[in-house]
Amino acid sequence: MFEMNSRLIIDEFYEVLKDPSAYGRKIKEGGRRKVVGYLCSYTPEEIIYAAGAHPFRLFGTGANIYLADAHLQSYCCSLVRGALEGALAGHLDFLDGVVFPHTCDSIQRLSDIWRMNVKGSFHIDVVLPVKLDTESARAYMIDILTKFRNDLGGYLQGEITDEKLTNALKTFNTIRGYLKRLYELKAENPGIITGSDLYAVVKSSMIMDRGHLLEVLPTFVNELEKKKESAASFQGKRIILAGGVCTHPDIYRIIEEAGGVVVWDDFCTGTRYFDVSVMNDSDPISVIAERFMKRPVCPAKHAGIFTRGENLVKIVKEKDARGVVFVFLKFCDPHAFDYPYIKELLDREGIPSMALDVEDQLPSESQLQTRFETFIEML
Amino acid sequence: MMITAGIDIGSITTKAAVIADGKILGTRVIFTGYNTETAGGKVYEELLRDLCLEKTAVRRVISTGYGRNSVKFVNKAMTEIICHGTGAHYLNPLIRSIIDIGGQDSKAIVLDEKGKVKNFAMNDKCAAGTGRFLEVMARALEVDLDGFGALSLKAVEPSRISSLCTVFAESEVISLISKGERRENIIAGIHESIAARVSAMANRVGIVPPVVMTGGVAKNVGVVKALEKKLGIAVEVSKYAQVNGAIGAAVLAMGLK
Amino acid sequence: MNRMPEIMLFLLAKIKKFILHFKKKKKMKEIMMVYYMEAKSARVGGRKVAWITSGGPVEPLIAMNVIPVYPENHGAMIGASKMGVDLCEKSESMGYSSDLCSYARTDIACATVNGGPIGGLPRPDMLICCNNICGTVLKWYEVQARYFNVPLFILDTPFCHMGYAEESRRYVRRQLEEYVLFLEKACGRKMDHDRLKAVGKLSLEGQRLWQAVLDTTTNRPAPMTAFDAFFHLALIVSLRGTPIVIDYYTQLLEKMKDRVARGIGAIPNEKYRLLWDNIPIWHRTRWLSEKLASHNACLVADTYTSAWCRSMKYIDENDFFESMAEAYTRIYLNIGVDEMAGIVLEMVDKYKVDGIVMHSNRSCKPYSLGQYDIKKIVEREREIPCLIIEADMVDARSFSESQVSTRIDAFMEIIRQRKGD
Repeated sequence: MFEMNSRLIIDEFYEVLKDPSAYGRKIKEGGRRKVVGYLCSYTPEEIIYAAGAHPFRLFGTGANIYLADAHLQSYCCSLVRGALEGALAGHLDFLDGVVFPHTCDSIQRLSDIWRMNVKGSFHIDVVLPVKLDTESARAYMIDILTKFRNDLGGYLQGEITDEKLTNALKTFNTIRGYLKRLYELKAENPGIITGSDLYAVVKSSMIMDRGHLLEVLPTFVNELEKKKESAASFQGKRIILAGGVCTHPDIYRIIEEAGGVVVWDDFCTGTRYFDVSVMNDSDPISVIAERFMKRPVCPAKHAGIFTRGENLVKIVKEKDARGVVFVFLKFCDPHAFDYPYIKELLDREGIPSMALDVEDQLPSESQLQTRFETFIEML
Repeated sequence: MMITAGIDIGSITTKAAVIADGKILGTRVIFTGYNTETAGGKVYEELLRDLCLEKTAVRRVISTGYGRNSVKFVNKAMTEIICHGTGAHYLNPLIRSIIDIGGQDSKAIVLDEKGKVKNFAMNDKCAAGTGRFLEVMARALEVDLDGFGALSLKAVEPSRISSLCTVFAESEVISLISKGERRENIIAGIHESIAARVSAMANRVGIVPPVVMTGGVAKNVGVVKALEKKLGIAVEVSKYAQVNGAIGAAVLAMGLK
Repeated sequence: MNRMPEIMLFLLAKIKKFILHFKKKKKMKEIMMVYYMEAKSARVGGRKVAWITSGGPVEPLIAMNVIPVYPENHGAMIGASKMGVDLCEKSESMGYSSDLCSYARTDIACATVNGGPIGGLPRPDMLICCNNICGTVLKWYEVQARYFNVPLFILDTPFCHMGYAEESRRYVRRQLEEYVLFLEKACGRKMDHDRLKAVGKLSLEGQRLWQAVLDTTTNRPAPMTAFDAFFHLALIVSLRGTPIVIDYYTQLLEKMKDRVARGIGAIPNEKYRLLWDNIPIWHRTRWLSEKLASHNACLVADTYTSAWCRSMKYIDENDFFESMAEAYTRIYLNIGVDEMAGIVLEMVDKYKVDGIVMHSNRSCKPYSLGQYDIKKIVEREREIPCLIIEADMVDARSFSESQVSTRIDAFMEIIRQRKGD
């Protein structure tokens, strides 16, 4: 399907994902650059990048939870337990620092427990507002981002100038633009790239050296643009995925094998990460704040009581999809609270939906097949 | 005359059904054993032999169930949810919802007037709410599982068993036994427990009457009554409870090109 | 009460309130009954009803003559009347995961069927959500805002991982003004700031009295247990800022002082003193109380009830409104785990306890996640054992009696051994 060029780039993305920690270690040793870990898509990556450091997103762990059990009960999500497990097991000792934006109750406590038990790296809490729809929240957000900029500058021993920050903004806006374009290409012509490949690109863009990413990503996207007309058309039923953090590329394959295709998503590790970019003449901190207030909202935040549901219905209609599959992490409270009303909105519009509870390990392949086959048959 | 067949390969039992021009010719049930492919082939051959039919007489075969992808000689594999839906609709087109409680999982399925699946939910992660729950309790009480239904009807007051987890529920039951609680009451309580789990799942998918129950546990009249009470809806037990999926598969096979 | 027409409720409430005013000995049950009757007939009296979170700033509501209703307090009542399981099941059939907070689940279900021990809570005219206790209340109140279609005010109190930041103070302070504007709009009149000052004084006085009541259990034997505190807590939570709280706690304090003077303990033979952590297991308080008493163990203090007076040190009596920002932001659940551990150690010393009983409460992540670390710190710094009981505050399906019983027995054996008994 791909030219040699595109295949090499895709392989590179997969290579990064095979062992992200090894990649992180390489970045640190190679460029004498500091690596700063984070879990949440509300992390101000631009500020980290402008400080000359490498923003490195953390996901759970594929391994069994053992060390984290001594600190966290079983009733919190596998992302939180897995991240702590990785940290306690020493897999993240290449991190120079870790940044915790305020997300949800579990992350909040993870931050404390991490700070108390994981030594050897600096620890910054960025307590962003939960409200994203008032002027006082915006003012506070700017205060906090400014504080973060100063704190980080202190830890990394270097001032983060407005110029560096504006350049970082441009870099990330560009990356976000290309990721969005990839999604648009897929939505227009689903056969152009598999769901798993697209997942690999997006996920590694949160881990890979951003400078290098700015080199390979445009090439990759341009190759795909050329393929637009000639790529095989896909007859599958168009589906939207919705949820939080999704670290299961197998889902895409199983859906495709069952006769469906994912044409868009509302994931923290998907469109919510890149969908909106802002650039104007205001100072860069205000621009970052504005993007956080405008981007598709996370359920752990508040920006209106129908916003997320209405946004999902809009996505289904705009992308001409036939149904929605919710992929929820077990014990994720914000998503679980939103689900009933969002499902009701979908029902009212006659949009079929299905909900899947996952943990760090997916349910067995046959269980997933059964559910997806049935659902797709229903559409 | 168009003859079609369906084979439902479950984890414990494998079922086959043959239909001719919309009439059920026969069904058969065997234990699956450890080889699903062998079981699928065996039940099919044995049923055909009973009906004095050659394999070539059967126009199309569809497989379903957990082992549906292991049999190579079928024309298509479809999920047990679709097949159960089709089967229930075929046997009674008025049916709108199906509750299926098997040995290792339970399902709730809602159909539209045409018999197509509108919504569904499955519990295949947790023993509570499945036949396994009843097996564990039968062992703890030292009562034959087949007698559960009849015994529970003699209950004066069902015991309250609150644990969500099968293992802890078992320990609650043992506690009740040692306190001298009557067997009949305990069993009724066990039925209420499984009914609570399954009806919560059923309500989540918008269950509407008429409701039919399929799967092995449908033979337990106590569970059926407890479900009816919990749902506030009458629950019909399918005559073909165990083979409903195979029948649905055979019906779907009629529509195959 | 459940089926009475509103006008009758209103009149009855007025009569009972009048009588209560003159009674010397005011009983909790009577006070709460009048309170709920007034709330359920608010419309008749032309008053508005606000639902508010347990950590929310109630003083402005009292100053505006709005009746505050606490769904969490109602959740505790649902748990205590053992009605939690049915309501949880109802919420699950509405599509809410069984892993969500059981206060939220039961309240959401209850609103649709008017269930629970008092036939459901009175309909809110507005919702006041302060997220100092957790992020769940935000989601819960969003659900109710959609259901009741009433205005929602959110007081966003940023988490204090390592102390109180100036940025937070500015933000919360500005929101307090937004809160007043919100109330003025909802009630159609201006806030009387003098009244608010007076309510603030009453609130502070109530908190002082409550702290004094809790302090009486530093005595040996303790004149009351934490289970009693769970019961008497209702007033400082629901009616803070009103005079009746002063009357009741003054009376209670006298009673406790009297018992201390006469050496009367809450349990017949207090040999071991324990500290409770987390929200009570509302559906099992009697069972736990008897179980512990059978071991001659008394729960003399807890981290939960003291949460409603711990912010006193941040309140400036002469500038209540300004200091509300800090008082409502720096509460027990809004601070870092290490700071919580420090407070636990203080309580261990103050109340001279032999061990800690920690309720690992599935429903409350901010309270429960971090307990394992606190346990380790206490064991290391004070060398006393900590017991963890896994349960849920309202959902009885998560409670396993024989398992918990065994654990308590084993824990008490360890304590006895350590004390050489």
